[in-house]
Amino acid sequence: MTWQTFLFLIVAGIAFGYSGKKFLTLWKLLKAQQGTGPKLDRLPERIKQTLSNVLGQKAVMQKQPIGIAHATIFWGFMIITIGTIEQFLSTLYNGITFEFLGPVFTGLVALQEFFTWAILLAVGYAFYRRLVLKPPGVGKSKDANFVLAFTGSLMISIIVMNLFHLVAAQPDYAGSFFITSHLVGLVGDVSSDTAHTLFTTFKWVHMLLVLGFSMYIPNSKHLHIVAAGPNTFFKTLDRAKPMKTIDFTNESLTQYGAAKVTDLSWKDTLDLYSCTECGRCQDLCPAWNTEKPLSPKRLIVDLKDNLYRNKDAALAHKYDEVSPLIDEKVTNDVIWACTTCRACEIACPVFINQTDKIYESRRNLVMMESSFPAEVQAVFKNMETNASPWAFSAADRANWAEGLSVPTVAEQPEMDVLLWVGCAGSFDDRNKKVLRSFVNLLKKAEIKFSILGTEEQCTGDAARRIGNEYLFQTLAQANVETMNRYSVKRIVTACPHCFNTLKNEYKDFGGNYEVFHHSDFLARLIKEGKLKSTKKVAEEVTFHDSCYMGRWNGIYDEPRQVLENVPGLKLTEMKSNHDQSMCCGAGGGRMWMEETIGRRVNVVRTEQALATGAKVIAASCPFCMTMMTDGVKAHDKQDSVKVMDIAEVLDQSI
Amino acid sequence: MQIYVCIKQVPDTETKIKLNADSSWIDTAGIKWIMSPFDEFAVEEALRVKEKTPGATVTVLSAGPARVVDSIRTALAMGADNGIHIEIPENADNNLAAKAIAGALKKEAKVDLVFTGKEAIDDGAAQTSQLIAEAVGIPCVTVVLAAEYGAGTIKCKREVEGGAFEMIEVSTPCLIAAQKGLNEPRYASLPNIMKAKKKEVKALKLADVGASEADQKIRYKNFQLPPPKQAGKKISGDPAAQAKELARLLHEEAKVI
Repeated sequence: MTWQTFLFLIVAGIAFGYSGKKFLTLWKLLKAQQGTGPKLDRLPERIKQTLSNVLGQKAVMQKQPIGIAHATIFWGFMIITIGTIEQFLSTLYNGITFEFLGPVFTGLVALQEFFTWAILLAVGYAFYRRLVLKPPGVGKSKDANFVLAFTGSLMISIIVMNLFHLVAAQPDYAGSFFITSHLVGLVGDVSSDTAHTLFTTFKWVHMLLVLGFSMYIPNSKHLHIVAAGPNTFFKTLDRAKPMKTIDFTNESLTQYGAAKVTDLSWKDTLDLYSCTECGRCQDLCPAWNTEKPLSPKRLIVDLKDNLYRNKDAALAHKYDEVSPLIDEKVTNDVIWACTTCRACEIACPVFINQTDKIYESRRNLVMMESSFPAEVQAVFKNMETNASPWAFSAADRANWAEGLSVPTVAEQPEMDVLLWVGCAGSFDDRNKKVLRSFVNLLKKAEIKFSILGTEEQCTGDAARRIGNEYLFQTLAQANVETMNRYSVKRIVTACPHCFNTLKNEYKDFGGNYEVFHHSDFLARLIKEGKLKSTKKVAEEVTFHDSCYMGRWNGIYDEPRQVLENVPGLKLTEMKSNHDQSMCCGAGGGRMWMEETIGRRVNVVRTEQALATGAKVIAASCPFCMTMMTDGVKAHDKQDSVKVMDIAEVLDQSI
Repeated sequence: MQIYVCIKQVPDTETKIKLNADSSWIDTAGIKWIMSPFDEFAVEEALRVKEKTPGATVTVLSAGPARVVDSIRTALAMGADNGIHIEIPENADNNLAAKAIAGALKKEAKVDLVFTGKEAIDDGAAQTSQLIAEAVGIPCVTVVLAAEYGAGTIKCKREVEGGAFEMIEVSTPCLIAAQKGLNEPRYASLPNIMKAKKKEVKALKLADVGASEADQKIRYKNFQLPPPKQAGKKISGDPAAQAKELARLLHEEAKVI
């Protein structure tokens, strides 16, 4: 016991007391959230992916070179923390050291030495990146610069401390300091006592920095070092992520969606705590990149600010006093700009679910406040009365198939697969042609299929994503009832929105089907030899990924396989494709809304497609088809560039 | 303030109209029924007046077969307080409907304001509003685009032929028939939809409102669908020849000039 013990106890007590209180508040705030969070399930998978993403830094590494810089700092801190613990213990009780570990100790020292210098290098790069390279998603951040300066100072204090340790103690494991030991000459001629005093001084500098850092963390974006791990553990495990189903039979439920930030769930809050504002989400956001007011990064930061602003009311459970979620930062325009393309979520290295917040806010706006873009009202009404977002009579739903001799399920209940036509295939003239091609292909492959005909209703995807869960459920229940009545087992559809809804979201309503998107179905038929391309299609084609196929369901290869199977066809990728692909602008119900702010998403995306020089833009989604066709027209290229569905391209070759 | 809105349930705008077996009426099987769109403006206007007037209530009335209660509930979901359904036959005429609604209104203790749509989109007769006002004994202003509510009077802007507008000041109680443009009808919020399901809709018969089948002045028979649309004709040639051909077609085939 020395004066150092007492001093350390006091200083550490203050520091940990302060940060501990802050963390406790954050915990209580998280617990005070009123929304329903996910349930803990599939534990082995969770542990495995947490290990690979946290310890293995898998998601962080998806972007380079910042990924390796982050991993270096992360792994380095893991190792150096062992030394910091040793340092704290030795201060509490003079003489405690891990030296008794023998070769393990010297190895550890060498590893710490390596990481100290490596972190310094990584911090240097990070500074260079922020201050010189200035990547757009990162933006200016005092917080970030402060954290980097703190981290750098911690390393420098360790190096200087080690330097004086080498001079004062001349340990027999001096070789472990394989870089610092070469700097001993810089110290000059100091006595062992002076060196020891300077060692102790820098040890304290380091310890105070550590303690100071611990006080800084809970109030900063650096909170991610505590929150991101648990957030990774609780992440959505599957690629497919159905929206939360609201139980309308629960009469105690009086609030639908999130009117206030406290209507979100604990998991949403953990998302807010986890954001370290890296900007990967913003870089890929089609709304942000076309000058809309929505940035997924700002959304998360602004919601966190909103929560902190309402901290006292939330902690006291005085929810009436909590201010609305929609404020001067998170405006209606922010909420309605989202195409739910999910580029933000897939890019996020700490697995934040940005779309969940958008969805919950929309649910409140639509169902509680009847507040939404005016043009959507007609869409809702059409879906209510005619089960289609377009104003067509439900009685005309099967008219597209006239002359094609396609049986309805009532006429042919025994079938290989039900062809789900969807509203676009039924009513949109351009997409009716896609359906004709697909029907041709099914017939050529001798697939026995039926349609629901006039019994088919809109799946309700657009209603659900716009926030009208009630309307969605009405449609979903009706469709499930119809399909179960006909004992439907397998479904194929040419619409990714129908596909996603039928496959992932009808389960909650008793609809369990094996659902295929036509790209997958056609790829299988080709593999099985049921469809053989014989005619050459000498075209250069670029494929535009549909968000609800790709990011929402992980289907990237199948549509490309269908195209590549066509003789003579040359497939050229756009600069952004697969997970980094840009949305056409129609998802999340945006198909049914006016786009009045900034550039048009479809025009920007079409520009990327045109840049490939391909004369055919292939799509696999009716909404993409519409948006890209309009985009081609906006660029005045309709005479030289065609937009075609993959089924149409394939049909040409058979 | 006691505000009343009279609404009519009509086939959805996208309905493909078919005739019944003896062509005496349309075939109602499979029809999706909606509130006539002009009546939505009437409901919305009533709700806006209510929201500005403490203590005001909005009651929705509709005459028709049992199915029209669904449309009354739609209005209740938008925010109306009470509903009254007067049962009249499927093929009642405007006079019988007006007599039934007026009879129900006269049974009410106090009527300050009545709103209707300027016409129903099924028969497009545009006369039930006036007939109701006449039967109740209050003035009415039709095709109203804007209304300014004062103490005891309402200044109405109404559309007249030729794109002109007329300003009319009317004393209350009165009936106002709404034209598109008067407001933007709201979309019912879910809590209101839930509440509307539980609200009671008062059911009245013809006898309850002092009307009878004898009030039906029109008997319907021999409905006919319009002839199918013919394909468009493209006139070619130089401008002079095109004009000449167009004039000939308008004169000889279309017989409009």
